[in-house]
Amino acid sequence: QKTVTGTVTSAKDNQPINGASILVKGTNVGTATSPTGTFSINVPAGKKILVISSVGFDDQEIDVSSQSTISVALKEKTSSLDEIVVTGYTAQKKKEITGAVAVVNVKDMKQVPVGTGEEALQGRASGLTVISSGQPGAASDLRIRGVTTFGNNQPLVMVDGVRGDLHNINVSDIESIQVLKDASAAIYGVAGANGVIIVTTKKGKAGKARVSYDGYYGVTTKGPGFDMANTQEEANAIWQQRINSGLQPGDEGWGSKQYGTGVNPVIPDYITPTGAFEGDPNTDPATYNINSNQITRANKAGTDWYDVITRNAPTQSHNISVSSGSDKSSYFFSFGYLNQQGIARFQYNKRYSVRANTQFNIGNKIRVGENAYVFYKNNPTYGNQGEGSPFSVAFREDAIIPVYDIAGNFAGTKSQDLGNAQNPYANIYRSKDNKSNNWDITGNVYAEVDFLKHFTARTSFGGVVDNNYYYYFSYVGYENAEGNTGANSFTEGAGYNSSWTYTNTLTYGNTFGNHNVKVLVGTEAVNYYGRNLSGTRSNYFSENPNYWVLGAGTGTQSNAGGAYQSSLWSQFAKLEYGYAGKYLLNASIRRDGASVFAEDVRYGYFPGVSAAWRISQENFMKGVSFINDLKLRGSWGKMGTAGNVGATNPFNLYSTRLGRSAYDISGTSTSPYAGFFRSNVGNPSTTWEGDIITNIGVDATILKNKIDFTVEWYKKKVNDLLYGAQGPQWASLYVGDAGLPQVNIADNQNSGLDLSLTYHANVSKDFKLDVTGIFTSYKNKIVSIPGSGYFDAGGIRNVVIQRNEVGHPLGAFFGYDVIGLFQSQDDIDKSPSQPGAAPGLFKYRDVNNDGTIDANDRTYIGSPHPDFTYGLNLAMSYKSFDFSAFFFGSKGNDIYNQTLYYTDFPDFFKGGIRREAAVNSWTPENTNTSIPALYNTGSFSSDQSTSSYFISKGSYFRCKQMQLGYTLPGTLLSRFGIEHLRIYVQSANLFTITKYNGLDPELTSTDPSSANANNLGIDQGNYPHTPSYLVGINLNF
Amino acid sequence: CSKDFLNKPPLGTLNPEIVASEVGVQGVLIGAYSLVDGEGASGDGFASGASNWIFGGVASDDANKGSDPSDVADAAPMEDWTITPTNGAIPQKWKLCYSGAQRCNDVLRVLPLATDIPAEEATQISAQARFLRAFYHFELKKIFGNIVYADENLTLDNTTNTTDVWPNIEADLNFAVDNLPETFSDEGRVNKWAAKALLAKTYMFQHKYSDAYTLLKDIIANGKTTKGEKYALLPHFYSNFNPAQKNSAESVFAAQTSVQDGSSVDWGGDPNGNYGDILNFPYTGGPGACCGFYNPSQDLADAFKTDANGLPLLDTWYSGNHVSDVTTPYVGNLDPRIDWTMGRKGIPYLDWGNHPGDAWIRNPGADGHFSPIKNVYAASQKDSYTDVGSAYWGPTELVANNVNIIRFADVILWAAECAADAGDLAAAMDYVNQVRDRVTDSNTWVKKGGSYDAANAVYTGGTNADTYKIGLYTSFPSKDYAIKAVQFERRLELAMEGHRFFDLVRYGTAGTVLNAYYDRYRSIMPLKANAHWTAGKNEYFPIPQGEIDNLNSDGTERLVQNPGY
Repeated sequence: QKTVTGTVTSAKDNQPINGASILVKGTNVGTATSPTGTFSINVPAGKKILVISSVGFDDQEIDVSSQSTISVALKEKTSSLDEIVVTGYTAQKKKEITGAVAVVNVKDMKQVPVGTGEEALQGRASGLTVISSGQPGAASDLRIRGVTTFGNNQPLVMVDGVRGDLHNINVSDIESIQVLKDASAAIYGVAGANGVIIVTTKKGKAGKARVSYDGYYGVTTKGPGFDMANTQEEANAIWQQRINSGLQPGDEGWGSKQYGTGVNPVIPDYITPTGAFEGDPNTDPATYNINSNQITRANKAGTDWYDVITRNAPTQSHNISVSSGSDKSSYFFSFGYLNQQGIARFQYNKRYSVRANTQFNIGNKIRVGENAYVFYKNNPTYGNQGEGSPFSVAFREDAIIPVYDIAGNFAGTKSQDLGNAQNPYANIYRSKDNKSNNWDITGNVYAEVDFLKHFTARTSFGGVVDNNYYYYFSYVGYENAEGNTGANSFTEGAGYNSSWTYTNTLTYGNTFGNHNVKVLVGTEAVNYYGRNLSGTRSNYFSENPNYWVLGAGTGTQSNAGGAYQSSLWSQFAKLEYGYAGKYLLNASIRRDGASVFAEDVRYGYFPGVSAAWRISQENFMKGVSFINDLKLRGSWGKMGTAGNVGATNPFNLYSTRLGRSAYDISGTSTSPYAGFFRSNVGNPSTTWEGDIITNIGVDATILKNKIDFTVEWYKKKVNDLLYGAQGPQWASLYVGDAGLPQVNIADNQNSGLDLSLTYHANVSKDFKLDVTGIFTSYKNKIVSIPGSGYFDAGGIRNVVIQRNEVGHPLGAFFGYDVIGLFQSQDDIDKSPSQPGAAPGLFKYRDVNNDGTIDANDRTYIGSPHPDFTYGLNLAMSYKSFDFSAFFFGSKGNDIYNQTLYYTDFPDFFKGGIRREAAVNSWTPENTNTSIPALYNTGSFSSDQSTSSYFISKGSYFRCKQMQLGYTLPGTLLSRFGIEHLRIYVQSANLFTITKYNGLDPELTSTDPSSANANNLGIDQGNYPHTPSYLVGINLNF
Repeated sequence: CSKDFLNKPPLGTLNPEIVASEVGVQGVLIGAYSLVDGEGASGDGFASGASNWIFGGVASDDANKGSDPSDVADAAPMEDWTITPTNGAIPQKWKLCYSGAQRCNDVLRVLPLATDIPAEEATQISAQARFLRAFYHFELKKIFGNIVYADENLTLDNTTNTTDVWPNIEADLNFAVDNLPETFSDEGRVNKWAAKALLAKTYMFQHKYSDAYTLLKDIIANGKTTKGEKYALLPHFYSNFNPAQKNSAESVFAAQTSVQDGSSVDWGGDPNGNYGDILNFPYTGGPGACCGFYNPSQDLADAFKTDANGLPLLDTWYSGNHVSDVTTPYVGNLDPRIDWTMGRKGIPYLDWGNHPGDAWIRNPGADGHFSPIKNVYAASQKDSYTDVGSAYWGPTELVANNVNIIRFADVILWAAECAADAGDLAAAMDYVNQVRDRVTDSNTWVKKGGSYDAANAVYTGGTNADTYKIGLYTSFPSKDYAIKAVQFERRLELAMEGHRFFDLVRYGTAGTVLNAYYDRYRSIMPLKANAHWTAGKNEYFPIPQGEIDNLNSDGTERLVQNPGY
């Protein structure tokens, strides 16, 4: 054994490299360089090669058999091809990958100031689409290569080898993310059908302890909101409704309770008493009674409800991490604090998180370690995308209603004839003391043993325990038209979800001449279990939050609870073979068994194979100098998913539910007999949904490593799509109201193109530029649905918007095509006969040309699926300044703007009216408009049909983040022991270019957590994204 | 590892073998009863409620839908008969009734698996199940006409809606008549007499008047409630709608409701209070807290006009000034039942104070000026017979107010019809007068300035709230007159109870009555503007298109759409 010392510098600028790792090849003996780039290492006898590596530099090997002092200049990495990429139970160099694996640029990703891991991934990996709402902490739609199933479209997320989730991860802790899109996911078998996102968190790196701090503080602005009519404009619109409906002053139905019955509307001084003026005896404050005379002044100018419920919201994030490592052990600790206040008042997402990842080396052959992540979160959220959610009642609540009545209590639609919306400010004010807390532990312990030279055995046990706890108070909205005299109630509940994953693998790797072989076999067991319970009581004497305990209610009480369990058991094998670095072949197979299927159809085999040809390694390519690397890939894989299949699926079952099976058989009025009902009809033959994915891809690095690009074409064919049973035998005639099983019914197909391109330019020594573009497209088509060949879905109230039909994409918008407005009775007479036709209402296209507009004239009027989505990242640095910007866009999708039912059709429900609809609707005098005439009642020709009037182009281009940073000179900082200090200013969602006529084109589905395809692209009132402005620092010791 | 590890039974449910015991089967039977209120199965809704307020009420001249025209828009076409097979209200009733029928079949399927049930009890269980199965099919039959009889032998291969199902309904009811006891300790169960009454109703709908008459006379003479109380008309008319007086001597068959049982916040289904009528309360005031639906029509109010003898204006009720007209109200005599049937401006609304008129009406132009009252509760009953129904639109009130499906007055008036049909005019008149007689007692009338006794549904003190005058018929001069008088009496006695449209179809007068009614109102009621009832088509509602599409989708035609749709 001998000691070798030396220094490591950067070849480019001769600056010392701190923390470069020095490893004796063929051993686990290693060290790291000091801040001045020096190191000292004991080289065991018989060993002579040192491997020197550092992030961002090419590895270098030095023979030290004849020297004991060395000086190494590392070349900056010019290509990412040698990056190690985790691809599912194994890791490969990027250049050896044979499947469609998108490697996320984690450094760029972390620049977007968001609260969830899903949001951070938006536009970062080709083939991955992420859509979020503006609500802090809300769930996002996450799709790899589009929507392909009726059930669960969420990809599998593996965090350090354990089934986890991205939602609550501390983005700062992430070391790398890979997205497996094709047969490369087949090794995950049943869980791989929607793709797999592999997240690896940071480990301690060799060298002295490093402390870093990253933090930002900023403000999210409230945004412009809706352009709603003011009180006078609204009153005029109501009068226009009456006129258009053929009424005259004096007729029954003329006028309004608030604005009188005159020729012109008169804005009253009070809305309670109804339409009252100063001097009315009932406006005397002495007569105020919150139930019978809730004296409320009219807001003559009009209340801007959006403005009232929103605020400029502070947001901040702080992360501190400490890490270190040696040849014996390494550790990474971090603490994170996130406090994102929502632009809706009183709404927030606060998270405290701690991570501890450690590894110990026992001798040369054994490694043990753990990854642990614990967080605690307070994140009460509102309902979003529904007619009762705050951003919906904000456009539904009438402008004449003030926030408060004369006594300082909330005002509302109990003042007569103003619709049935609710005071949106009262709603969110009353939610401010609600709680929704989670604490969650995720992690694993593992051990690895190397033996017999070429073998490594690994075992890992890990899982997630998620505990949730919540309570909320349901107030009596005394100010509302509806539900103003009921009883208050309080609900409190808790639950936990747990899962564990136990994985054992054995790897053999060896090289025979030009043949490189790696074989992996393994087993995996996954178990899910969870329980929840809740209780409700009504009639609380006091609504003070300090009084909110279940025992304090005096009225009706009830409780509920549930539990679930399921498991998976799998065996798998994988072969990776390479010949001379030119011909690469991967093959894998997995056998999965799932508890949710009946015993004889429980198991499935899921094979995958992929191959690549690195053309650039061929001799004939040697002369082609502009190509640095060129690889052609192809893959085929079969995967599966158990979709939304639950443990009840195979069985006929009975249950008891108070609301469904109980009956007061002895006439007590309060004590029904519980009873049983057939709750589930089983289908024992339901089995795996099968996905066959074929993929062809090209990876190239060209022009002196300046440009990397990847193009992928794929086809994903889904057979035996799982969906709630359809077809005659499942009609209520035969099965009553029993819950239907998921069955394998339909076929679906997606095909598309993913593209990514990165351009690195070192324009000069001081000026660098990196541009990355990501392009994702898919084309979705339903191949078969049994029975009628279609089914309808989506929408609110009686409005059905979407049809799933063979030959069309999932969730396509289906209705009447508006070709204009009827301009006159003459126009109506000359047009095909149409129910409810009237001047100023919609003229529909006679699709089948039979002279009559009826249900047969409904047609496909739009699709929620974009032609493509794209992300564009710019990163520039000049000397100590850096600038980056990230843009995300969606092109070619349609949005069904359902909010227009409320804002453009005052007959649909009274309440707020969109300014444009109030002042520019069709009248005989104002015919050059697309906004239909206002009537007292709706009709087939206006708001009682699904039509293209509600379709708006959903394309948008959004600047998701832009920042300017400055790194302070090292010489100045080293005095304080500071290694690196960067400060920056940033804006998120700075601007959006769109023609969408609603608030925000970035729309999640109504219920992202259910992850189904229904309600895709329907705007039911959405929590918008608004610009935010931040300052931040990055600091390393 | 694998085999046991992958056996993960569902939690919180029962398999059929566990249910197959005496207690289990009785529980499944309760599950079959639990849909009698029209709520609690997937796909249910306001249209499936036991009161049939949409199909029997809004579709007739009894009531307007109420609220804003676009609210529960699927019920709007019932006002003007623009209903189409894709209407969203019709599948609610269709699915609910077939769910009920299948729950009955579940009882019959599980029963033989249970070995611990004494034979007599087993027979009673099947008899109750078959009664309920007949009831669910009866509801389907009167609404949809051409239906499938879903008994335990129904398969894909023998499904058809072109076969007459009356014999199946009768067979189930005859089994129930033969095997049900007269009394049970649970007063909400159906007994032999309820079975006879439903069988009589079946005969009425088939115009088998003589068969019906025999049964009805037996019921009137000997019938008793499940509690063993002899059937009788209650002294106070409104006691029939009072949650404190449910399952009384007048109750032949009713949907039992309950509150404060924890079901109001159980969104696995709909709560056990009268959820079907949860919208049918005054708007912004009074009981219920929501939503201003099911407003009695002006025509119904006018039908309560009486002449100097206290008899109804059988031909001219709609002429002259309108009752409670906003500008020039009718000032003559009224049948006192009017103010137990609808809330009118200035008249006490139980103990909620005087009805304020349009302040409680959501959209007077479309809804008219009256509020329903038979499904509500007294202010003094709040909290004892009500419950919070947490709905997203706010805390609404649920009521433990049974829904009358057959009450004894109904039975007596069927007998009157049969008597009139048989030409026994004296008997017909006597039956009608029995029903009228109980409201001749002025102590039972609505009073101003008195106090409402919610325990007995009567006012104490005060003076008559309006000019009430009701008298008994002294002669039915002809068969035609008798039939007209009986039909008019049914309208008055059973108004707002969901029978009216089905009665009109049964009488064969729906076209003349409804189209004349629409003509009178089309110029002032926006939803009546183009209303027209078409004979040969609108006797029945369309069969839900989705059900037809689905059941015929494999190429076998199992369901045929009703004529005209």
